[in-house]
Amino acid sequence: MLDTMLIASQLMNGLVLGFLYVLIAVGMSIIFGMLGLVNFAHGAFFALGAYFALSLSPYLGFAGALVAAPLLVGLIGLIVERTLLRPLYDKEPLLGLVLTFGLALFIQELIRTIWGSMGHPFDTPSMFSGFLQMGPVFVTQYRLAVLVITIVILIAVWVFLEKTPYGRIVRAGSRDPDMVSMLGINLKRVFTFIFGLGCLLAGAAGVLAAPLWSVVPTMAEQAIMPAFVVVVIGGLGSLRGAVVAGLMVGIAVAMTIQFWSVASSSVMYVLMIIVLLLFPRGLFGERWERFE
Amino acid sequence: MLQKKVMSGTAGLSRRSVLKAGAAGLITGVAGAVPFARTALAAEPIKIGVLLSKSGTYAVQGEQGYNGAAIAAADVGEVLGRPVQLVWLDENGPQTTQQNMMRLIQQEKVVAVQGGISSGDILAIMPVAEREKILLMATGPNATEITGAKCGRYTFRVDTPNYATTRSVYPELAKNGKNWYFLYASYAWGIDGFNQMSGLLKDDGGKVVGADQTPLGTTDYSSFILKLVASKPDAVFLGLGGSDLTNFLKQFHQMGLTGKIPISALSCNDTDLWSAGTESATGIYPKIWNYTGSQNTEISKAFVKSYQAKHGTPPEAEAWQDWFGTTAILTAIKETNSTDSSKLVEFLEGHKFDGYKAGSMHFRPWDHQLIQPTLVAKVKEKITDKYDYFDIVSEVPGKGQTLDDLFGSQSESECKMPTSL
Repeated sequence: MLDTMLIASQLMNGLVLGFLYVLIAVGMSIIFGMLGLVNFAHGAFFALGAYFALSLSPYLGFAGALVAAPLLVGLIGLIVERTLLRPLYDKEPLLGLVLTFGLALFIQELIRTIWGSMGHPFDTPSMFSGFLQMGPVFVTQYRLAVLVITIVILIAVWVFLEKTPYGRIVRAGSRDPDMVSMLGINLKRVFTFIFGLGCLLAGAAGVLAAPLWSVVPTMAEQAIMPAFVVVVIGGLGSLRGAVVAGLMVGIAVAMTIQFWSVASSSVMYVLMIIVLLLFPRGLFGERWERFE
Repeated sequence: MLQKKVMSGTAGLSRRSVLKAGAAGLITGVAGAVPFARTALAAEPIKIGVLLSKSGTYAVQGEQGYNGAAIAAADVGEVLGRPVQLVWLDENGPQTTQQNMMRLIQQEKVVAVQGGISSGDILAIMPVAEREKILLMATGPNATEITGAKCGRYTFRVDTPNYATTRSVYPELAKNGKNWYFLYASYAWGIDGFNQMSGLLKDDGGKVVGADQTPLGTTDYSSFILKLVASKPDAVFLGLGGSDLTNFLKQFHQMGLTGKIPISALSCNDTDLWSAGTESATGIYPKIWNYTGSQNTEISKAFVKSYQAKHGTPPEAEAWQDWFGTTAILTAIKETNSTDSSKLVEFLEGHKFDGYKAGSMHFRPWDHQLIQPTLVAKVKEKITDKYDYFDIVSEVPGKGQTLDDLFGSQSESECKMPTSL
């Protein structure tokens, strides 16, 4: 017998899970859209966010850590872009990939060295402990908080990219870097900033995931795959695509768990295959001259 | 082929080529997380290969296990006048582990291999051990068939089979009622454990009110927990380990269920609970070993002491298992005065290990299972120490029970041990 209440509850849960995926993926999507770089270290920056929050929250509280930890991760992103990535832009695109892949391993070992390989407890912040039950819908307060914070972050990123002069430069630069440079705009600095922003978002996702997932050095591996899948389904570089794809993946996972649990981790790949067959650029991927 | 295409497309930045390279990179990234080998310093050491996770769900146990093995090797120092050296490669999925096993044998020339947390990985390398005629000390896997239907002459198993762990904890968990929900990892260990435990439950008149398989490495259990609650079970029995168990317990706690629905699992590593934290930790578990409790012997206590001195944390069960595994291999080398695996196998089949646990331990010659007393342990109501999470509920086999009751007798076993070496 189909329990409609349970299905409604699963749908809601999938939606919330989807927003977590969106948050993990959005930084990766922005970096790809603007820099044309698949950032394999995205998961590592995600893990760094969680570990910084682990060390900072005793002093700043969870809310303080939620602000400070992503900023620190973003700062590291700025440094990485300036020192390691910038020399590679006009070279073989594979180099950037290899570099970020190496960086991911390096950061993971660094975390192991500093914080140890054993998992660290990270309790739910006390202000969000508890859960809500409204009719069929059962959500923990913390997941609801993740949902709200993610939406706020997404709106902020959207407003920045679409409504500010700086955002306009970023978008123009991603389409036609040569022309923007000729107009006298220092595009290198823009790229540095965008990479830092992407890392900051990865860090924020890491902080929010810390009370939900195990805080272990290998948590990077658990974030990178969903992020990559969401970005590909949504269309590389599309903010709107990342949101839609993240929610799709979340709901697909929740529904698969309800009806065919053993396939719950492969369903996102099946979804990716189907979407790519129908829309080779992903759902909202546009044709960009620069990438063709 | 993918890479070749990328290399040839040098003009400009092609979105498609970046994507393809990305996919290729992900595949290699998942397949092998850069294993490293310790370089040899002394001339002609006796090398023992270690296959334990360095990445993925079981990475934390992997390190604990290696640390345990390293303490055993350091304590012995040298055998047959040669220094002992461990070579640790990653145990990261059946295929990678098989390749690493071959590398240990062919390149590193190890005399024996030990380790294995995932039953799937051990089942993949057991045929290699048979073919290459090299001793395999399986320290951490629990699937029953390793010393059952798929047993091998060169493989010995330290950890307890699901057959034993389920029987040890069943009576305690059944006190809560007999409508159970099962959630277990969808590979050899979890599936075998589900079959064992649901069999016990049904034979006792109980009912499986829900059962779900989850892929290894699942991060989000919220949807499973919704299903679990809807099935209104008296108890939940898990076949999850490593960070999977940690994730489950954290999310179970967030939904306000800790202490409301009793939890048990096929096995339990202290590290999984340490990373879940004092608030989320809950349950009653079968445990092969615990670092506290009056059941510990002098040798065991000395091991705890040296582990704590070296690593700052107490050893968990996995550390003990690998410490004992290395100890058993080195004892065999010393006593037989040989590094020939066939001689080591014959020695291990007949030797009694005394002093490591309360009561003598031995590998049964007909299935190579380490026969030993084990524990049922419960997470304390109020945890005050950062690491001391457990109260020992009982030692098994209890009064009136025999070791055969726990591990199964020869007539029940599906193992047909090869006679030739």
